[in-house]
Amino acid sequence: MKDELNITNKWICDKCQESLVLEKVKVRYLEGNFEVELLKCPTCKMVYINDDLALGKMLEVEKGLEDK
Amino acid sequence: MDLDKLLEIGNECIHSEPPVCVASCPVHMDVIAFTSEIEKGDFAKAYKIMENKIPFSRLIGKICDHPCESKCVRKDVGGSIKISELEKTVIDLGYDAPKKAMLLPKTKGNIAVIGGGLSGIVTAVELDKKGYQVTIYEKSSRLGGSLWDYEGKGLDSSIIEEELLLISKKGISVFFNTEVNEENLQTYIEKYDAIYLGTGYWSKEYDINPDTYQSDIASLFIGGKIQSKNNSVIHCVSSGKRAAVSIDRYITKTSMLASREREGIFETKLNYKIDTVKPIDVVKKTSSIYFENEAKKEAKRCLKCQCNECIDACVHMQRFNVTPDSYIRNINHNERIILGTHSANEMINSCTQCGLCKEVCPVGIGMKDIIHDTRESMVERGKMPLSAHDFALKDMSFSNSDYFSMVRKQPSKEDSKSLFYYPQIAFCGYTRGLYKGSGKTGFLFYPGCQLSATHTDYIGDIYKHLVGAIKDKDAQNDVGLYLGCCGAPADWAGRVDLMPQSVEKILNVWKEMGEPTFILACSSCTSTFEKYLPMIKTVSLWEVFDKYGLPEVAIKKGKKELSIHDACATRHDTQIHKSVRSIVKTLGYSIEELEFSKDKAKCCGYGGLVSCANKEQADDFVNDRITESEQDILVYCAMCKDAIVKGNKRAYHLLDIIYGNEIDQAVPQKMPTLSDRQNNRKRLKKQLLKEIWNEEVKSDLSNTYDFTLNISDEINEIIEKRFILVSDIEQVIHNSIKQKERFFNPETSDYLARLRIQNVTYWVKYEENGSDIVLKDVYSHRMQIVEE
Repeated sequence: MKDELNITNKWICDKCQESLVLEKVKVRYLEGNFEVELLKCPTCKMVYINDDLALGKMLEVEKGLEDK
Repeated sequence: MDLDKLLEIGNECIHSEPPVCVASCPVHMDVIAFTSEIEKGDFAKAYKIMENKIPFSRLIGKICDHPCESKCVRKDVGGSIKISELEKTVIDLGYDAPKKAMLLPKTKGNIAVIGGGLSGIVTAVELDKKGYQVTIYEKSSRLGGSLWDYEGKGLDSSIIEEELLLISKKGISVFFNTEVNEENLQTYIEKYDAIYLGTGYWSKEYDINPDTYQSDIASLFIGGKIQSKNNSVIHCVSSGKRAAVSIDRYITKTSMLASREREGIFETKLNYKIDTVKPIDVVKKTSSIYFENEAKKEAKRCLKCQCNECIDACVHMQRFNVTPDSYIRNINHNERIILGTHSANEMINSCTQCGLCKEVCPVGIGMKDIIHDTRESMVERGKMPLSAHDFALKDMSFSNSDYFSMVRKQPSKEDSKSLFYYPQIAFCGYTRGLYKGSGKTGFLFYPGCQLSATHTDYIGDIYKHLVGAIKDKDAQNDVGLYLGCCGAPADWAGRVDLMPQSVEKILNVWKEMGEPTFILACSSCTSTFEKYLPMIKTVSLWEVFDKYGLPEVAIKKGKKELSIHDACATRHDTQIHKSVRSIVKTLGYSIEELEFSKDKAKCCGYGGLVSCANKEQADDFVNDRITESEQDILVYCAMCKDAIVKGNKRAYHLLDIIYGNEIDQAVPQKMPTLSDRQNNRKRLKKQLLKEIWNEEVKSDLSNTYDFTLNISDEINEIIEKRFILVSDIEQVIHNSIKQKERFFNPETSDYLARLRIQNVTYWVKYEENGSDIVLKDVYSHRMQIVEE
């Protein structure tokens, strides 16, 4: 999964002109606090989320937390 | 929420009430399951269903006196189902010798059954099943009693003998040639834990409880013919079964009467209507019993009586496969659960609160108010999923902001002086209306947020027409204008926190304007005003048109037959139904009434914010509705038109035909997008203020950016589906260009940017060609990412 992300991801940070690195990132929703590995800019820390993640797993977790 | 009271309502639902045949069967054979299996050709399963309720079913099924048949609902539409004949065929085609049962320890007590006739052997096997050591005392040399009367008359002796072997196979002891009578009964009473007396005749009359078969001697139970005083085979079987239940309760010292109200024959609450049932004659036997195909055909005639009125009428109940009984149980669970998933949330947010279920329910149960109360309770307990109604509530807040909301009195005579010249004053009703200005606002036109958003260009014309038409007949009363949202979205979403302020705002305007009558153009507004603002007198725009006259417009010739889709929110407002039909006819159209019209109107899927909370469910509603008619649809609620057009059916708003705007049959109809709607509201306010009140809106309120956004139809569809506004997309792009907060893909030269706006993070993928921005993708999430 990690390797796949690194290979297929061509995005770079436009401000810092840096390649993205995979790092643990804190995400929060309602009562939920998680740490997940996501791609981010090593300098400005901006985190990259693609549509598959936003509309797939993230949406699923959001709905799950809303129904808790 | 009073959940106990709610559960009581659920118990009133008759969906699970048995059909009259089952209720009038003393042992409650499941006739619907039985005939369904026969229909499928599964006679073995049909036999199992008989066996389930009828002991010695291979014998009883052949000789049952079938009290069910005289009650069958089919009776007057072709003739009662021949249940008894079907049983005979099922025995012949579906009987399978029982598997050797495991012998269980008989430790619960010792019971004597006196009399080895039908009720006695039934009681004996039933008690044996319950774990009692049973001994039968029979005065003759064989078991079966009156069963032998049917030898050669329905029953073969070999089969009677074979079936009676069951008694010995089970290890039930039998003493033959042993007569028990009143004189020696006492010794048996002393010896056994309980006695069942089923000898058909007895010398002494005992008091027998008709519900428990217990006599005035506590351990003595009496059933069969002695108690029933009739020869009914099935009553005999029933009394044996029920006496066995009583004996078990007596010995285990449990309540003799609890939960036994429905033993034996009882009244079902189900009253199956045959108004629309087509008569089909009874299938005739071509032999002594039905052949397989004849039986299948006869079983098919069975109406499978069950109350499905609401679920048949409602695609929401169909999608979740619920009727009020199960629906309420689900709500109850959802409300009480503390830890774990609230799995009924989605269902609760998928009801349009249209009220149709109540209209069709024979006992008057409606889910509308229950769903409303449940949603309020969810909001109060902080358990309402945020995403379900977020977009609609933000849209409501937009409509009540300065972007759209405004109140104005009719322009004063003084301010309108410049218009009072010939020919203006002679030929323009509006100008004459202004000329008659009294300064007293008798009416306040309230078009509502959705009509203003989707039928923007009519609003000014309607207002002018109202001023002219009303002042012509009623010089006392000026007509003012009020733009805003009535609060229906907050009501649907159960937002007890938002509703009071919304109501108060309207109430204050009403008071400040001198308590005018509101002219409402939206059915949801009408319903909201009725519920929350009963002190305000309202009248529908359609009634006003009908009473004061229609705008004079050259009507173009178009399709002349339309089906009226009534608005569910005003299903009980007969005046609206009448006015709408009167207007349609005045305009020269003919009406094809839909099956579900007026008080039985079906929802378009927008109600209850379902299109926001569960898109698929909303689609079900519109698809269900549009298949009802071949004709184009006429609506008088803006959201109904939106839903129907999106369902690919041509729809007219009543205003379309009033203002002569025929639909071009060759071009697909389109409705404004979510973003268009907000822009239209802004534009409407600005336009009306300028045109009618001669006021300039000081600032445009909206942002301007130094880029041009290009959105393809394909991307537009995605934006709509994901409930994203173009204004939010613009903010993301603006921020990304300014702050350089964006990712870049060197291979495609695309940018990807994100921005959190309120409680949502929006992502926008775009291509930048100078100041031209081409949108590639848009998506969002609610989860917050900590960038550190």
